[in-house]
Amino acid sequence: MLRKKMFRDIRQNLSQFITIFLMVWLGVLAYAGIRSYMDGMTTTAEVFYRENNLQDLNAVGTGFTDEEMTEIRAMDGVKAAERKLTLLATMVSEKDLTLQVNFIESNEIAQLYVFEGAEFDADNDGIWLDRFYAQNNDLKVGDTITLKYGDLELTREIAALVNVPDHVYDIKDESAIFPDHKDYGFCYLSAKELPETMRVFSTCMIDVEEKKQVAEVKTAIEEQIESVIVVTKAEDSTSYAVYQGEVEEGETYVGVFSGLFLFIAMLSVVTTMTRVVKKQRIQIGTLKALGFSKKKITRHYVGYGFWISLAAAITGLIAGALIIGNLFMSMEMAVFQIPNGAPAVKVKSLVVAACVVLIVCLVTWLTCRKELKESPAETLRTKKIKVNKETLAITTKGVFGKLGFASKWNLRDILRNKLRTFMGVAGITGCCLLLVCALGMYDSIQSFIGWQFDDLYNFEYKLSLDAACTEEEYNQLTADYGTASSMMLGIEVEQGNEKEANTAFVTDAGDYVRVTDHDREFITMKDDGVYITEKLAKLEGYELGDTVRWHVFGSDTWYESEIVGFDRDPQNQNLKMTRKYAESIGVIYQPDTLYTNADLSEVKALAGVELIQNVETLKTGMQSMVSAMTTMVVLISVVAAVLGCVIIYNLGILSFTEKQYQFATLKVLGFAEKRIRKIYVLQNNWLTIVSAILGAPLGYLMTNFIFTMALSDAYDFSADIGVLSYVLAIAGTFVVSLAMSKGLAKKVRKIDMVTSLKGNE
Amino acid sequence: MEELIQFRNVKKSYQIGEKQFNALDGVDFSINRGEFVVILGPSGAGKSTLLNLLGGMDQTTSGEIIVGGEKISDYDEEQLTVYRAERIGFIFQFYNILPTLTVLENVELINDIVKKPKPAMEILKDVGLAEHASKFPNQLSGGEQQRVSIARAIAKNPLLLLCDEPTGALDSKTGVEVLKLLKKQCEGKEDGNTVIIVTHNALIAEVADRVIRLKNGKIVSNEKNEAPKAIEEVTW
Repeated sequence: MLRKKMFRDIRQNLSQFITIFLMVWLGVLAYAGIRSYMDGMTTTAEVFYRENNLQDLNAVGTGFTDEEMTEIRAMDGVKAAERKLTLLATMVSEKDLTLQVNFIESNEIAQLYVFEGAEFDADNDGIWLDRFYAQNNDLKVGDTITLKYGDLELTREIAALVNVPDHVYDIKDESAIFPDHKDYGFCYLSAKELPETMRVFSTCMIDVEEKKQVAEVKTAIEEQIESVIVVTKAEDSTSYAVYQGEVEEGETYVGVFSGLFLFIAMLSVVTTMTRVVKKQRIQIGTLKALGFSKKKITRHYVGYGFWISLAAAITGLIAGALIIGNLFMSMEMAVFQIPNGAPAVKVKSLVVAACVVLIVCLVTWLTCRKELKESPAETLRTKKIKVNKETLAITTKGVFGKLGFASKWNLRDILRNKLRTFMGVAGITGCCLLLVCALGMYDSIQSFIGWQFDDLYNFEYKLSLDAACTEEEYNQLTADYGTASSMMLGIEVEQGNEKEANTAFVTDAGDYVRVTDHDREFITMKDDGVYITEKLAKLEGYELGDTVRWHVFGSDTWYESEIVGFDRDPQNQNLKMTRKYAESIGVIYQPDTLYTNADLSEVKALAGVELIQNVETLKTGMQSMVSAMTTMVVLISVVAAVLGCVIIYNLGILSFTEKQYQFATLKVLGFAEKRIRKIYVLQNNWLTIVSAILGAPLGYLMTNFIFTMALSDAYDFSADIGVLSYVLAIAGTFVVSLAMSKGLAKKVRKIDMVTSLKGNE
Repeated sequence: MEELIQFRNVKKSYQIGEKQFNALDGVDFSINRGEFVVILGPSGAGKSTLLNLLGGMDQTTSGEIIVGGEKISDYDEEQLTVYRAERIGFIFQFYNILPTLTVLENVELINDIVKKPKPAMEILKDVGLAEHASKFPNQLSGGEQQRVSIARAIAKNPLLLLCDEPTGALDSKTGVEVLKLLKKQCEGKEDGNTVIIVTHNALIAEVADRVIRLKNGKIVSNEKNEAPKAIEEVTW
């Protein structure tokens, strides 16, 4: 019978139970959705790396000989080793696209995952092509393509479309952040396709027996193999690190966004559930008077929260993975090349969902227990509204005493309903915060693009020189396009007993490549020491005037340089120095890049140049990041609006129900409906103003947190939010809030004075 | 004496399930200005319905209600709001004063809807609550709260004071005090208020100028009390 009562009670209080269901559902949906995407990212990569045997170490050298390979394979802890030759070739087509061509002898390490076509075979003369590149350029298995590298030209059939574990994230050049799969890709060929003379394998992939032996094997190779320049762990490769960075970034989203959303949702649920049970006071008293045990009554009321929240949590979990998980995964899998990417629901999500249900039950139990503490006679009496005279006394004096009735009444209503008010403010603040954050993320990315591509890069074209660029070719290039140049050195920095791999940017580019200080103001570099980026200095504990000990990979000469300044760079945390300084300490300046403002729009290739990049093209490459951000902005804004609507509706319904008899009294006294509606909306307007005041700076802090904490150590840019975004976010919050409260205020018309006043008796 | 209120064949019906329930079933009566009237009847007789119709809180199913020469049964929502604001003072069994406003503020509330209200402090003095002006309702006894409700009602200087079981939640002694206060509103002045009390307490009828008896939605009797008792003589 009590079950029947429960279903009927739910039907009678449908709007409140729908709110509870929705809030639990949305909270779990947001949490489990983002969690399932993060877990999906991790699991998908783990499976791919394990099943396709990602190498443990990469050795880069001047050319690994057969003897050296035998030596490496014989080392303790080495399970397998394979060598690879990598070239940047041109795919002959209308646009002459760039392809990274890898020649391998066998494929036991970093195995190709074949989507379509044949498995790798060293005797097959085909091309195993990057799947995304093929899709973006409309290439299919069986098509023939021509690769051109210097005088070498290979015309081959596409044998298969593949993904490779060390090509999860591939960019053409360090200036780009997002891969452009149309413009750049990779492919694999059998080393037999190369003329014997060209078979100089500069990379060796090593698979170790056990993870703990990685460091030991690394040192052994560095010490024993002559042609080695540097040995790095697979985890340090860009492909691995960027993907991992994305996962870690997402972890922050899980914590920040879904945690915030879940918290606000739970606040709302707790308040509503408390009110629902309190409304049942007389019925609790009746059941008690009839002889129902406390246990039975408690179980009955806990059942309200349990079944509703359980249904919401289960459907939220499923919908989260299906909707949010899949949406984010598909966005990520359009950037990263991993097969079988799918969201994964792990124990953590189940635990959180179970906790949500438990919290709802606990709150219901506590509220019910409170009502059951009183005697049945007491419970059967209508509870008198408590008015704390001390709290309210403040509002009768001074400036408060002079307030009009509407203000006074609302002020005291707030003081009497602190939890409800707090819940409302938290919800609307969350809405404003999310909107500021959504628009702020967009603004900040635009600011980052401006900083990198308008401020730091002050050139039209960047020419990446070929490693084999001859002196004549270089002289011709400088004669045609100017002498602004730079060199990027792979270095190792020693600090105490630690050695960290990094890069040093040596510039002779003058004003073509500028350097900025903390406030993004341009600085002129001095010639008597090195500059270190502010973020790196903070991370490593460097002070101005300190000495940095470093050497170039492949050279045993160590340099000791004084830090003469700090600079800020949004996407590279490294050392910088002028050519003059580098040469003064004995570094041989061999430029790898030239910068020019000449018009090269019609030039496809230049002798001695590996890559010609237009700054606008680089900027366009960033647009994919911007478009991903736009999706995020839209998604967060929708979540913010939904959150705002549900919270305000819930708050509105609660506050309206509680004030109904007072509104009825005002109606009886002769207050016009319009006036009562204004009184009702006034409180909501106040709460929205307070929430906007709190939400705007919190939105900034959250955006800043995302950019400073969630992004990998390579980035250094903080939130930069325009006034317009704040205005739009606050206006959006007001629109949502006002629309909801005005809609609810229409209920004043429906107040039946007679019934409302009778109900209060 | 001038006729202030006229009910002409007033009906008020409610649909309960498939049945129609007539709360008022063709009620006819009239009340003069300045009278102290008691409408008497058992539970379900239609007393509160009658009061609600007269107070502009509800609308008739049929019939006419004329107050001060104006047919209020034809009024729309807006007109009824103005009517309630300017001409009616309500007093309820459970007071219905706003818990978050002080005693004085509850009375001053009327300043927001009436152009020329009586000074709130003066009224509080009249009802004996001047010293409680800054208190909140929950700091007062039931009788005091009902006096706040009366003060709020008379601050409007209304044409009609409508009281729904005003002593229902009070003990006999406090109830008598409240009745005295209500009677005072229609005594000794030419333009005194007309007070209508709805109650099931027959003892209160003994102090009324006019007693209207209701049963099953119909008027059973409408008599002028030629010799009303002094309120002090009443006890229950």
